[in-house]
Amino acid sequence: MKIFWFPLIFTVVGMSRLAAAEETRSGEIFFETEIRPLLARRCYECHGEKKSKSGLRLDSAARFAQGGDSGALIVAGAPEKSLLLQVIRRTDPDLQMPPDDPLPATEVARLEQWVAMGAPWPASVAPVAGLPVDEHGFTAEQRAFWTFQPLTHPTPPALAGKRWARGEIDQFIAAKHAERGLVPAPAANREEWVRRVFFDVHGLPPTRAQVTAFVEDQRPDADERLIDELLASPRYGERWGQHWLDLVRFADSDGYRADFLRPAAWQYRDWVIRSLNADLPYDRFVQAQLAGDEIAPNDPDVFVATSYLRNGIYEWNQRDVRGQANLIVDDITANVGEVFLGLSFACARCHDHKFDPILQKDYFALRAFFEGVLWRSDLPLATREERARSAEKLTAWETATAGIRGQIEELIGPERDRLVKRAHDRFTDDIQTMMDKPAAQRAPFEQVVATLAARQLEYEVDRYEPQKALKTPEAKARYATLLAELQLFEAIKPAPLPEAFVATDAGRESPPTKMKARRGGDREVAPGFLTVIAPEEPLITPLEHSSGRRTALANWITRPDNPLATRTIVNRVWQYHFGRGLAGSPNDLGKLGELPTHPELLDWLAQRFITLGGSLKKLHREILLSATYRQTARMAVPARAALIDPDNRFLWRFSPRRLDAEQVRDAMLAASGELNLTVGGPVQDAGVSTRRSIFTLRRRNSTNDLLRVLDAPAGFSSSAERQVTATPLQALLFMNGEWPLARARQLGSVVAGAADIWQAVLGRVPLADEKRVAEDFIARRTAAGRLGADEAAGAITSEHAVMAAGRFKENTARERLLVRGAPREGDDFTVEAIVHLESIDPGAAVRVIASRWNGERLSLDSHGWSLGVTGKKSAFKPSSLIVQLVGEDDNMNTAYEAVASGIVIAPGKTFHVVARVACAEGTVSFFVRDLDSAESGPLTTTVKHRLVGKLGAGAATPVIGGLYRRGPHQFDGRIDGVRVVPGLLDDQALAADPSRWSALGAMTWDARHALPAGYEWQAGVSGEETADPRIRAMTDLAHVLLNSNEFIHLH
Amino acid sequence: MPCYNFSPIRSRRDFLRTAGGGFGAVALAALTGSPLIAGTGGATRAGAALTNRPGRAKNVIFLVMEGGPSHLDTFDHKPLINELDGQKLPASFKPPILAMGESNAPIMGSPRQWTQHGQSGLWVSDWFPHVARHADDLAVIKSCVSDGINHAGGVCQMNTGSVFGGRPSLGAWVDYGLGTENQNLPGFVVIKDSEKEVVNGVRNWGTGFMPAVHQGVEFSANGSPIRNLQAPKGLDEARQRDKLEFLAQLNRPHAAARADDSELEARIRSYELAYRMQAEAPGAVDLSRETAETKTLYGLDAKETAVFGRNCLLARRLVEQGVRFVQLYSGAGSGWDSHTELEKSHAGLCRSVDKPIAALLTDLKARGLLDETLVIWGGEFGRTPMAEQKGGRDHNPTGFTMWMAGGGVQGGKSIGATDDLGLYAVKDRLHVHDLHASIMYLLGIDHTQLIYHHQGRPERIDVNEGKAFKRLIG
Repeated sequence: MKIFWFPLIFTVVGMSRLAAAEETRSGEIFFETEIRPLLARRCYECHGEKKSKSGLRLDSAARFAQGGDSGALIVAGAPEKSLLLQVIRRTDPDLQMPPDDPLPATEVARLEQWVAMGAPWPASVAPVAGLPVDEHGFTAEQRAFWTFQPLTHPTPPALAGKRWARGEIDQFIAAKHAERGLVPAPAANREEWVRRVFFDVHGLPPTRAQVTAFVEDQRPDADERLIDELLASPRYGERWGQHWLDLVRFADSDGYRADFLRPAAWQYRDWVIRSLNADLPYDRFVQAQLAGDEIAPNDPDVFVATSYLRNGIYEWNQRDVRGQANLIVDDITANVGEVFLGLSFACARCHDHKFDPILQKDYFALRAFFEGVLWRSDLPLATREERARSAEKLTAWETATAGIRGQIEELIGPERDRLVKRAHDRFTDDIQTMMDKPAAQRAPFEQVVATLAARQLEYEVDRYEPQKALKTPEAKARYATLLAELQLFEAIKPAPLPEAFVATDAGRESPPTKMKARRGGDREVAPGFLTVIAPEEPLITPLEHSSGRRTALANWITRPDNPLATRTIVNRVWQYHFGRGLAGSPNDLGKLGELPTHPELLDWLAQRFITLGGSLKKLHREILLSATYRQTARMAVPARAALIDPDNRFLWRFSPRRLDAEQVRDAMLAASGELNLTVGGPVQDAGVSTRRSIFTLRRRNSTNDLLRVLDAPAGFSSSAERQVTATPLQALLFMNGEWPLARARQLGSVVAGAADIWQAVLGRVPLADEKRVAEDFIARRTAAGRLGADEAAGAITSEHAVMAAGRFKENTARERLLVRGAPREGDDFTVEAIVHLESIDPGAAVRVIASRWNGERLSLDSHGWSLGVTGKKSAFKPSSLIVQLVGEDDNMNTAYEAVASGIVIAPGKTFHVVARVACAEGTVSFFVRDLDSAESGPLTTTVKHRLVGKLGAGAATPVIGGLYRRGPHQFDGRIDGVRVVPGLLDDQALAADPSRWSALGAMTWDARHALPAGYEWQAGVSGEETADPRIRAMTDLAHVLLNSNEFIHLH
Repeated sequence: MPCYNFSPIRSRRDFLRTAGGGFGAVALAALTGSPLIAGTGGATRAGAALTNRPGRAKNVIFLVMEGGPSHLDTFDHKPLINELDGQKLPASFKPPILAMGESNAPIMGSPRQWTQHGQSGLWVSDWFPHVARHADDLAVIKSCVSDGINHAGGVCQMNTGSVFGGRPSLGAWVDYGLGTENQNLPGFVVIKDSEKEVVNGVRNWGTGFMPAVHQGVEFSANGSPIRNLQAPKGLDEARQRDKLEFLAQLNRPHAAARADDSELEARIRSYELAYRMQAEAPGAVDLSRETAETKTLYGLDAKETAVFGRNCLLARRLVEQGVRFVQLYSGAGSGWDSHTELEKSHAGLCRSVDKPIAALLTDLKARGLLDETLVIWGGEFGRTPMAEQKGGRDHNPTGFTMWMAGGGVQGGKSIGATDDLGLYAVKDRLHVHDLHASIMYLLGIDHTQLIYHHQGRPERIDVNEGKAFKRLIG
């Protein structure tokens, strides 16, 4: 115990050693955060290094204990008997301290509390004046802290757990059991164990067949076979990859306001999964991420990993370029310290770490390795040969098209250049100077800043739309002609190489790293390792175009004898298997973290990991097959364990766990039979996709609801441990949210009875009691449903009518019609349709006629439009035609606008509706004719809006009868035809009969004709309203089980 | 303090981690008689010093003018900008980094009429005639400073202390510290004035590294106040209740056989809470219980004040019912961001909030709630004295105004100052960290004591950099 306790009679009955250690630690923290600063502020001036009035010094534990001329200062645990308290309470008129102003009452209270606690004073962490420190300023105690010790070579306690242990791991665990009088839990039965290992290794429940196959496998090595099989499956990387993505704060978007998508970020995610599945040795896994560009610049499968250096957030229009560059490198530094070294370096950014021997200099020395990191957008994911081949083809194409491109450039270049120039001029003068220099003449820091700033210019080029920017119809026509001509050369143009999201150094030289010292100003710091364990200067070999710094760091981190890195990774692996690390705070093995419960086992695992060549799979195998891992979670807690180790730190059983967010979502899809196991590639929103959660879109500003309420991290900082919360909002989402309900409907529609639902959701047969109550429930619900169905019978439309041409009905096979591959309609377009509504939404939802929109309003992806009819509770006129737009406003912000016509579209009547959307004018003009009343003329109106364009920049596919993302926006009734035409059609070009539409639409659909290519019906979420009361009852049962604790908790 | 039938809790950390609602750290410290601050580090420490402060606010209503209102046209009177109208920024001023980069833009005067109000004689422009009548209740802080020159960073910092995401929101900290007084409503509620997304989306009221129980819950003023509060279409109440009863029938024996696992009990309780919330929340936002007089006071009868008036009235109702922290957004989605035609856009926005805010102050006072309710007004930054494009102003995080009223704040006070052009704060600069510390102070919490341990770092709302400005209290 590295703490100085003042003599104190201390009752420890019923208090475990561990609890005492915890108490100690909280005492230390209390002292460091409250008492030491207080003493320093109030007392050191007279009782410190410079002066020791009355023979008293208060700046070290020993001197404090000594007291001064008036004797001992305190009686630990007894404030009322302590001189210190008498003095600061000023009860004795002759002895009052501080001499001038009394201490504030809160500080007196704090000191009183401290003395009452026994006056804990940790063995000095921060050097205390007068105590011996080495040349770096560390005390012996600091150096002796376990984290910084070399790895030891512990021998498994031979005699421990002789009958119970299956391997060396168990011997360590058994030894601690014996020390504490704990008894290991019985082994889990096969059903419990197989479910546990599937969730643990794959993140998925086993199928019924998988459970049966294993339970019935009589071979003596059935367990080993199962583990080997699980580790060999691609599902392994999909589960364990998520752990890594949490640590490196991975996301598919930029964060900040625009939260732009990172379209190539998934390649890193896939690389992580691939590497884990291939069991890439951990040292190479680390090296590739830190320095793949230096190690193998021509191997795309290695340098893709430098995407790690770009996982931080980025703001596309930040004019404070220096500030942003600085934040980026700070963020990388903090993450590297936590993820690879298990230390919280961020504490040392402003001062020497208060608790750990991490100097402020160490923070900046670590930072220096990354000072030159440059985010690149010009490096495709390709080998040198592929790049050369592509370049060669490109040259041929460029030569062949030089003339045409020259003419295009002449036409569109000046305006584009003006926009770029405008973006350039927004920067402050000093930044402009850096940008204007030729790259070769820039200092390394200027290169970093100029590159970051240049991204904003590239963005201007990317978003420049010549067709829109060109002023005259002649110019537009000419541009179109030239593009068509250019198109003729498409055959000889090389296919674009895969986009990469990678980083390199700015060059051979890196920018200087300046340490911001609170005293004495800035000071330059060279790259260096953690002084306390590696004071030596790093051996850095600069490469031709790179500083070589990150390679040097990666090599140091992955040295087998680096105790921090190896302990950190094996501790994480242990944590993910057992729910808690051997050292309890996996991103901080320092003093503020938790001491390891089994330090010898931790070192043994580290050594073993080295022996296994850094193979994670082999490490998993040993842990998974241990007796420790095999213990049951289902047991009454023995009295002794409840008393001395209620948190199960010493693993006297398997700790129960709630499933992680992704496990829950994936298990729901698995239960309903909808899980799509497609591997890798670009992703979709988790609310739409049925793929595994790791293959869904991670947007920092809009995490999927279900994943968020189940505590999935948002990707801003490293997340080493998932929170486990149970909030009312989570319950509401599970009970009332559409997504879980949709899974229940699906499952309810395919099962024969309660037993099937039990199998699908809980992976077991129901007990007799459960079966009985479940059958009661089904009978009750079926009867109730029948009652309701009879009442509603009149309203149920016949299957025939539902399937009639052009009929759209919620929750049927023809709910929405997706239109794939349609050309974009631009920012000025006309939507025309013939519609017959059967109902409007009873709430405020819009019944959508046609859209190119995912229903969101925040990001570039959500840009788009929809035409529909308002619901009963709409804030606009109910049952009226409305256009919704998401695009860019004149501040270049993404904005949403509802453009209401006020023209009523009554259910039960057929209407010819037209909306002409014009961004150039900032208007939508509506045209509506009631086709059932022959005489009535068209109603028209023109409404203003404030969007200027970019409606087409979104990611959604056009949809007829709903939105791209399913929600409460389905059309209900008939749509006889829809067309979407670029440009604004005049009244003469409109027609209430689709067969008279001339075919110039970006999309044209006539309900009476067969589905054109690319058109695809989307079914609703199955049979809730099929009016079969038994299926409804099954759905209810499935929904309840998906809400049950047994489903969410592995216990 | 309501008393639930808890199963034994394995550790304090587990308790905080899984508790469905209610207890704040401060309350727990008081309850257990032992110090407690939670965190993933699991460390505990003294909580006694947390309370015992002069602050007496119990609730907060934070009126966020999102996009950055111009202090120069509302509360920070600078005659010099009118004198220098059309001229370049004098060389004696350091050129600021501008979000829009119009670096040579001339100074633009303010066409507002300014008058002094109340006994205190605070300057308020003619854009806030109703609020001006409460001048003697306001402490106008003219020297606010933030780090975010863009909306994302600015809004993020005003909410969480950091321009970078990932930290808990101020409301979450307050909920963590003080807990909620109504078990059936969230402790932290957010209401926007339109369907538009606030910059950065929901993470503005997120919990960052803290447990999700402290997150802000978005209330919609129309229809169902909370997402997923109502059962979906086709699920009548009898059916829903039947399902919940059957769920309890499964969960109860499951938990009883695993009595050591407090997470199971916590989850059961979360369903019960959700059920009670379903009963209580619609009533909390039901304005039919308010008198016509009250509705008129808040401007519900006039088109331009109806929306924000309704939200202010909701805020009062929520605070009355024990919600700890209410955040109202005006101009959700950077509505106050006036790069062009500030005169027009600000005029409309000011009109839409002026009467409702004044009504809120009047109403709180009349009900004796103002003393314990801290009302805060401001945006993520102010605006520059220089013009931009057609009659607009650019972002100014280097000096801007916020005001506070109620909650023990001494009214009729002008605090701090910007330079003669309102560009930089020069006297009593209050960084956002200081503002957060001061808000905690007014709530009776020593912000240096309210700690959450995360990844080995003792985290605080002020990112360890703030100082409470104690002169806010008289």
